[in-house]
Amino acid sequence: MMVHLNGIKEIIPEGMTIKTLIEWAKEGDPHLIVEQNGTYIYPSSYDTQSVFENDVIEFINPNLGG
Amino acid sequence: MRRLDDQRYIRQTILPEIGPDGQEALACACVLIAGVGGLGSITCLYLAAAGIGHIKIADGDVVELSNLNRQIIHSEAFLGQPKTISAAIRIKALNSHVRVTPVQERITHFNIDGLLKDVNIIVDGSDNYETRQVLNRASLRHELPFVYGGVQGFNAMVSSFIPGQTACFECIVRGPGIPSDTSPGIIGPTAGIAASFQAMETIKLILGIGKTLKNRMLRISGLDMRLHSLKLVPNPECKACGRI
Ligand SMILES: [Zn+2]
Repeated sequence: MMVHLNGIKEIIPEGMTIKTLIEWAKEGDPHLIVEQNGTYIYPSSYDTQSVFENDVIEFINPNLGG
Repeated sequence: MRRLDDQRYIRQTILPEIGPDGQEALACACVLIAGVGGLGSITCLYLAAAGIGHIKIADGDVVELSNLNRQIIHSEAFLGQPKTISAAIRIKALNSHVRVTPVQERITHFNIDGLLKDVNIIVDGSDNYETRQVLNRASLRHELPFVYGGVQGFNAMVSSFIPGQTACFECIVRGPGIPSDTSPGIIGPTAGIAASFQAMETIKLILGIGKTLKNRMLRISGLDMRLHSLKLVPNPECKACGRI
């Protein structure tokens, strides 16, 4: 199925959760911020939060410079 | 208000959202600028120009040449000098009526409570996760708004964390990310944009006007000129704000 991941259309396997999507995308930042359809997803929900067709998902590395 | 100040602030006091009463509220406010680097350079100046009564600036660093592509409150004349002194002199030159308290110390868990005496709002000007954690915990402890700004490269993030009303910084940012041995790159306007938003948030929070970035994180991409608002929710597992 198709999702928008960090602004790019990606074809991903069906039945994914945020957790499996992070693994699929090989995101290595343990403190990643995840946004799904405009809303922040907290980490304890990653393995239960499903990913759906046409979802807009952003993996955000926090900006910590000043 | 003195006659001189009537003229100084006329372009903002004619705004119905501010007016003379709002100007008086700004004059009575005390703000901590937590770091006077790229972000703090700009927030200091805009808040001083707006007539914030008391600005405390805390930073333990000295001015270095590599700061000057973005930390525009400082100048070549102050290379090697404490940043807080450089900033204080510039602020007083801009608005001599503002009370400025420079504190040439790195912000830590040990000194933050003292720094927050009389402070109404904490404005983030730090450049690392650990200092922001100190500021966030102090914000929660003292029930003070924490106006976060963070920058890297062409990208910036801004949000207002209000104890009891919103997610806190650590609800959203859980750690420093992947460690790096080198300082990240940044172009000056990135810091200017984020800090301008922080100054706007600070003024609005003091005056209680407008729609602030409560439970919203503004993400700015300077490279492709995109602004995006991320809806935040408190993290029930947050170790800092105790919602478990
Ligand atoms: Zn929290």
